[in-house]
Amino acid sequence: MTSGGVQFAFGPGVLSSWWDWLWFHNQTDTSTFARGVDLVFFYIFWVSAAFFVLLMVLMAYFAVRYRRRPGVAPEPSASHNTPLEITWSVVPTILMAVMFVWGTYEYLPLKIAPADAEVINVTARQWGWEWVYENGAQSRDRERIADMDSPVFALPRGRPVKFIMSSNDVIHSMYIAAFRIKRDVFPNMYTSQWTVPKEATHRWSEEMKQFVPIQPGANNGYYMACAEYCGDQHSQMWARIMVLEDADYVKWKEIQASTDDIPLLVLGEILHKTKGCVSCHSVDGSKGTGPTWKGIWGTTEQFKGGGSAVVDENYVRESILEPAKNIVQGFANQMTSFQGQVTERELMALTTYIKSLSAKPDDLEAAKAASDAEMEAKKKAAEEATNP
Amino acid sequence: MSGHHHESYLAPRETLWKSIMAWVYTLDHKRIGVMYLIATTFAFLLAGVFALLVRAELWEPTRTIVDEATNQTRVVGQFLPGWTERGLPVTPNNAYNRAFTLHGAIMVFLFIIPAVPAALGNIFLPIMLGAKDVAFPRLNLLSWYTYVFGGLFAVWSLASGGAETGWTFYTPYSSTTNWGSTTAMVLAAFILGFSSIFTGINFVATVHKLRVPGMGWFDMPLFAWAIYATAIIQVLATPVLGITLLLLVLERTLRIGIFDPAMGGDPVLFQHFFWFYSHPAVYIMILPGMGIASELIAVHCHKKIFGYRAIAFSSIAIAAISFLVWAHHMFTAQTAAFNAVFSALTFLVAIPTAIKVFNWISTMYKASIALNTPMLYAMSFLFCFTIGGLTGPPLATLAVDIHLHDTYFVVAHFHYVMMGGTVMAFLGGLHHWWPKMFGKMYNEFWGRVGAVLVFIGFNVTFFIQFFMGTQGMPRRYATYVEEFTSFHKISTVGSWILFLGFLIHALVFAHSLVAGRAAPKNPWGGLTFEWEADSPPVEHNFDHEPVITHGPYDFESVVPPHCSEQDFPLHPAAQNGRAHGH
Amino acid sequence: MSTAAARKPMIDMDLPPHARHVPATHWRNAKDEAEAAKLGMWLFLATEILLFAGFFCAYSAFRLYYPGNWHAASSYYLSWKIGFANTVVLLASSFTIVMAIRGAQTNRQWMIQLNLFLTQLCAAFFLVVKLVWEYWPKIQEGKLPGGFFTYAHSQGPHDHIFLSIYWIATATHGLHVFVGMIVIGWAMWMAARRHYGPKHYTSLENIGLYWHIVDIIWIFLFPLLYLV
Repeated sequence: MTSGGVQFAFGPGVLSSWWDWLWFHNQTDTSTFARGVDLVFFYIFWVSAAFFVLLMVLMAYFAVRYRRRPGVAPEPSASHNTPLEITWSVVPTILMAVMFVWGTYEYLPLKIAPADAEVINVTARQWGWEWVYENGAQSRDRERIADMDSPVFALPRGRPVKFIMSSNDVIHSMYIAAFRIKRDVFPNMYTSQWTVPKEATHRWSEEMKQFVPIQPGANNGYYMACAEYCGDQHSQMWARIMVLEDADYVKWKEIQASTDDIPLLVLGEILHKTKGCVSCHSVDGSKGTGPTWKGIWGTTEQFKGGGSAVVDENYVRESILEPAKNIVQGFANQMTSFQGQVTERELMALTTYIKSLSAKPDDLEAAKAASDAEMEAKKKAAEEATNP
Repeated sequence: MSGHHHESYLAPRETLWKSIMAWVYTLDHKRIGVMYLIATTFAFLLAGVFALLVRAELWEPTRTIVDEATNQTRVVGQFLPGWTERGLPVTPNNAYNRAFTLHGAIMVFLFIIPAVPAALGNIFLPIMLGAKDVAFPRLNLLSWYTYVFGGLFAVWSLASGGAETGWTFYTPYSSTTNWGSTTAMVLAAFILGFSSIFTGINFVATVHKLRVPGMGWFDMPLFAWAIYATAIIQVLATPVLGITLLLLVLERTLRIGIFDPAMGGDPVLFQHFFWFYSHPAVYIMILPGMGIASELIAVHCHKKIFGYRAIAFSSIAIAAISFLVWAHHMFTAQTAAFNAVFSALTFLVAIPTAIKVFNWISTMYKASIALNTPMLYAMSFLFCFTIGGLTGPPLATLAVDIHLHDTYFVVAHFHYVMMGGTVMAFLGGLHHWWPKMFGKMYNEFWGRVGAVLVFIGFNVTFFIQFFMGTQGMPRRYATYVEEFTSFHKISTVGSWILFLGFLIHALVFAHSLVAGRAAPKNPWGGLTFEWEADSPPVEHNFDHEPVITHGPYDFESVVPPHCSEQDFPLHPAAQNGRAHGH
Repeated sequence: MSTAAARKPMIDMDLPPHARHVPATHWRNAKDEAEAAKLGMWLFLATEILLFAGFFCAYSAFRLYYPGNWHAASSYYLSWKIGFANTVVLLASSFTIVMAIRGAQTNRQWMIQLNLFLTQLCAAFFLVVKLVWEYWPKIQEGKLPGGFFTYAHSQGPHDHIFLSIYWIATATHGLHVFVGMIVIGWAMWMAARRHYGPKHYTSLENIGLYWHIVDIIWIFLFPLLYLV
């Protein structure tokens, strides 16, 4: 039933015994928080199931036993029964008081992160997620989830992680079902939540030089989703969470942090996805919320309200930093600014990438050349720094 | 009007024009109720079509494939097409987003809030109290025309692309989006709110001032208690919706900035405003349904309601507590202390609700139960509403709600209470009072077939959604990860069974109006005043003002009016205080 | 059975209109009708209070968020003297409408009409002062709500929010005053037709109740917006 062995909240199909059905035993130990939540839920579930069965059995029994028979009058019965009514008011009250107290007790730790929690800054935007780790790393790993190019994030096993979250535009909500955590993410404001993952899902493989699932086909990590309606692609803000042992986690962060040795052209292609441009700008010519980048370099764009511009370095820069300034005819003013969210090198990388998608082969050559030249210059500068 | 006292309220006038005018200018609560019934049924069907579209879209998760011919990506598994608006291409997700928004908005504002009170309540509240009309007949007509006006606004919004914000209109998305015709839809809801307020004012005054002499508060039928409690909520809660929607319209048009964080505003303030109305609103939706359930069970079990006073008081308690719990819709947005308070208060409202369910089932003990269509719906109501009610506590529990908030668990919960509760009760009430309203019987066999199909279809559609929710399937999703495919397919098949059930009901009712046999005055053996009136009632409801000689549920000691003791025999042990209704 | 004409009680057409009022046919007696009308009006007033409560909530929320700016904005943009004058006038109008009701109770038709006219005058004064001395200058200087705020000399970062709340609260209140004027105008017409008297002045009482609520809401708005 699961494709790629993805593990999400209760993992259907992985219930191996009747005990599992009774307690939904599987997959509740994914985070330190999850077990407590599940126990409260199961308490509520079984209490509710007991009452439901009792009530429905009674109803069905009465419906049969006391069905109308012609000429037979129903026997008189009491119109009320104070002891019974008090009992069935007090007992549910007590049962629900337990739900409230236990539920609040399990909930409170979620609000207070430990002081030593590692901080990850989360930015939600229409329609994607960005996580910035303490070392400045941002994940460049991608995966296709629900047929959408989605990010892959890593978390350390057994250590607390605190997410400090904010939105660029409207309200979103960060939801990791397997960990049982969810918190709304607001614009112009920070909210936070934290978790401690308990089980590693991936490990570094020296042979393949990449991170692979620990149990191939079983647990491919956890899903993260947006849980507050935020517009068109609300249902396509998925992400994959990998949980790594500490050493692997540090290694992963280091790999992600260093974009300096990625050539401009390659980096541009990566940023197209990680920065979320892919939500609106295709690179294969298909129509989207924003103009496609394919073949756009060097053409002249006509703007709403008159005016036009050639698509060059300046235009690309303006489109990224001040998108509302000029809107191309046939499109809506929907893009939020990336001012302060892209470095100069990243801007150059995106420009180089767009140039490489031009219809003219000359532009592609120029882009490749620029990218290679920059890498050469960096190498030379690095060498000169070590060998003055 | 003077010559029509003894005709049925449905009787046509001398000329076609006069007949039409008799409905356009009517002050008769029954005719106003029938007009509401037709309009809300139409709204229900329209919103139902949107629901079918939503479920059709969710049959498969969408997939992009590379089209070999053009080497471009193409989306498959998508049912709703894209469209163009103002010259801009709009993605199919957007079409889905409009479908679920319109389903919610039309269902809430045009169907479920007005349907039971303004349709069945309008027709039967005055009759049950022994009155000739509601307290303010002209206000009643104004309420109806306000509803029509609001409905027209909604239609205009629909024609201009509707809205895609979700029926909850959360800011800043709803205050900034430019798709569709959000402002018109919000204005429609604003106008419809006034219709609800006018109805509420009318019913409160009616219950206070128009009861037949000798009918004390505890001699009223429980349907009247339910309508009264609902009317209180309508009067006190709806104005807050009014100001909320007004502020949203001003935010969109004048950019006043109180909800927009970019201008220093607070989007959570909107949520507080919105839910302060919308939580009591859900009790506006369910309380009348509970009132109907009391009537259905009492009459078709031919048994007095167990714990009459408990049910009456619990209705008022639910109405009062409903104002205290709104922030349980916002647990993922607030601080711990705030959340704890609202979690505790939310559990409070479950207690009177549970008491009602226990009382209804106890009523069936030592009863005489006729398993006809209304009773089948009463039992469907008990089954489904109990599930809906029992899935409330997981959402009220803080730790669990963090996981379940904004997932399909919530969707399943509210459909179980709103549809499994109110709609089942409404359908039961329709069948129960159909002979009285229209003077015709319906085909009982096909009525039961419809009821069974609706019950099965409903449960197939929504029960699986609880599991989707606990597995982490978020709501308002146009597409989803593949693991959920079979869940969604089951749910979609259920929606088709539901549709079939409703279709059968529609055909049964249509047939009844055209070719149904004439209904007797009291086909079910009820004891409340409407069963003393003609089927259908005369214009002023009764020829003589009814005299109260027995309680509304004194089945043990009273032979129902217009019925024979053979059909409804009295038990020898209950011979004290025997009386006949006339 | 009896015809409609036979059902109606005999009416002495020599009596003035207020003395020959007959309750609507669905009422058992005139007392029930009058009490129901008053109950209905109180319920309607509850809805008005809850509607304005929304403005007061928004006011409180933003006052809590931006306390310093709030007080400064209030004295910077609003003139308490104008507000005070309007308050006095509105209070006077509440008094005159009570006098009109007194006139009905004591069957002095001139008192009803005079006091209704005075009430109308006060209401008009209120609206004119508001429109001419408060709204118009603000419109000219760009002291407008939210996104339309173009005043060049704002004294704090959140002035536009204060003005948003000021504009929408006072405009909605002003709309209620205007509607009140229309309703009082109707009452003046009915008074001219001798519709009100000791046995029948319920609708006048209800109008008075409505007017008092409009006044009370202003009594709350004035200090919150102008004085603090």
